[in-house]
Amino acid sequence: MKTLARDWGLRLAVLATAVALWEYFLSRSQNFLLPTFAHIATGLFHLIFLEPRFWEALYISNQALIFGYAAAVMIGVPLGLMAARLPWMDRLLNPYFAVLLVMPVAPLIPIVIIALGLGLAARVFIVVSFALVFITINTRAGVRSIEPTLIEMAKSFGATESQIWRRIIVPGALPAIFVGLRIGLGRAITGMVMVELILVASGLGRLLLEFSGRMQSDMVFATVLAVIIEALALLSVMQILERKIAPWAPDISIG
Amino acid sequence: MIQVKNLTKEFGRIDNGGGVLALSDIDFEVRDNEFVTVIGPSGCGKTTLLRIIAGLIPYQHGEVSIDSHPVVGPGPERAVVFQNFALLPWTDVLGNVTFGLDVRGATKSDSQAKAKELIKLVGLEGFEQRLPKELSGGMQQRVGLARALAVNPRILLMDEPFGALDEQTRRLLQEQLLQLWERERKTVVFITHSMEEAVMLGDRVMLMTPRPGKVKEMIDVPLKRPRPPDIEKSSAFVEIKEYLWENLRAMQTHQS
Repeated sequence: MKTLARDWGLRLAVLATAVALWEYFLSRSQNFLLPTFAHIATGLFHLIFLEPRFWEALYISNQALIFGYAAAVMIGVPLGLMAARLPWMDRLLNPYFAVLLVMPVAPLIPIVIIALGLGLAARVFIVVSFALVFITINTRAGVRSIEPTLIEMAKSFGATESQIWRRIIVPGALPAIFVGLRIGLGRAITGMVMVELILVASGLGRLLLEFSGRMQSDMVFATVLAVIIEALALLSVMQILERKIAPWAPDISIG
Repeated sequence: MIQVKNLTKEFGRIDNGGGVLALSDIDFEVRDNEFVTVIGPSGCGKTTLLRIIAGLIPYQHGEVSIDSHPVVGPGPERAVVFQNFALLPWTDVLGNVTFGLDVRGATKSDSQAKAKELIKLVGLEGFEQRLPKELSGGMQQRVGLARALAVNPRILLMDEPFGALDEQTRRLLQEQLLQLWERERKTVVFITHSMEEAVMLGDRVMLMTPRPGKVKEMIDVPLKRPRPPDIEKSSAFVEIKEYLWENLRAMQTHQS
């Protein structure tokens, strides 16, 4: 694990350099609203240990994240599997995947809120629309990447369609599905914060708006950092799951 | 016995134009316990023919039957060995060899016992827990062979099984396949593009011509079995090989 130690050494060096540069330019700048790194770190400490509203906000935001992400996975993965395996389904859905991929979701948030109101439903819907298509297209790509001779091999032994799904398609697509799940999670978190910032003043978004309204830039940065920490924690959990479920997948780890 | 009568296979539709006639009027039989090798230039449809016998792709005209039963799909009396091995990358040697047995509904303990027996037979004892990517090409194809033999087929369909291997590995596997075959005497259809391989292994060599694929000739190989590795120096061996080459070269000059 020498390389791991070296990697972390390098990473910490990059962080230290970035912090040093940040502090250096800040000290030369006349802009008193930009927080120093020390301030941000203190802010983060304050937020996590002394600010009960942070935990409440985190709880509220995560409701949308959990329901939305779970729905995106439960719809997105089967949709991707079917699109890859059923040609008519793929022809039907292909243009819509393209639209969803390029469509900026954020400007549509007001419309969603007009339709679904200011409650949890709207926030869940936005999280789903941020994450879904990335999960689906990665799943589809995963199935497509399975060598056709593997399916032929299974058929030559008389495998039924359901056996082909269970024994070839799902395990073959798993590594790519996990890539989709990770990208989807990142998108879901973006969606979660964005909807709260734009219209539904609740959860972490509301906290962020309050901090920036009061010019507490250190607290704004601290809150963003907290979101990043949560996202990284979730990604590591996913990585552990992936190593358990699909240990043959190529290592494309983050963190 | 495998019987193929007037088999014609088109890809796409010929009448609409744009179709390709892959096989035309193929007629031949493979007797029980016979080893038939199939050789021909690329584009002669030999792999297509094997896939049809395996029941993996449909055909338009003619008849393909096994013991007088028409082939409508894969069947338990047949097993295929693939050129690119077709091993599941996510499971180990044992998992790959048990695949056919599992799919056919064998109990876990039965399929494990049978698989271990075959892993031993192909000389991979001790490698049960290795993943395919940890094995050499020759070892991977031995796994493919063990997987096919594990379901105890009467007919073994081999699609250029050693085509992706280097010369030395290929020679060793040919020798081992011959030894295995002497013991079990399965009916084998073996596709190859190597003339040595065709003569070394086959009781008969089926020579095919390309575009559209046709059977040019069925050539008897009167070399007695078991065949020692140095049989390729015998005059009979060399003669058949030369004959194959004359024919194949003539087809190539037609092409280019």
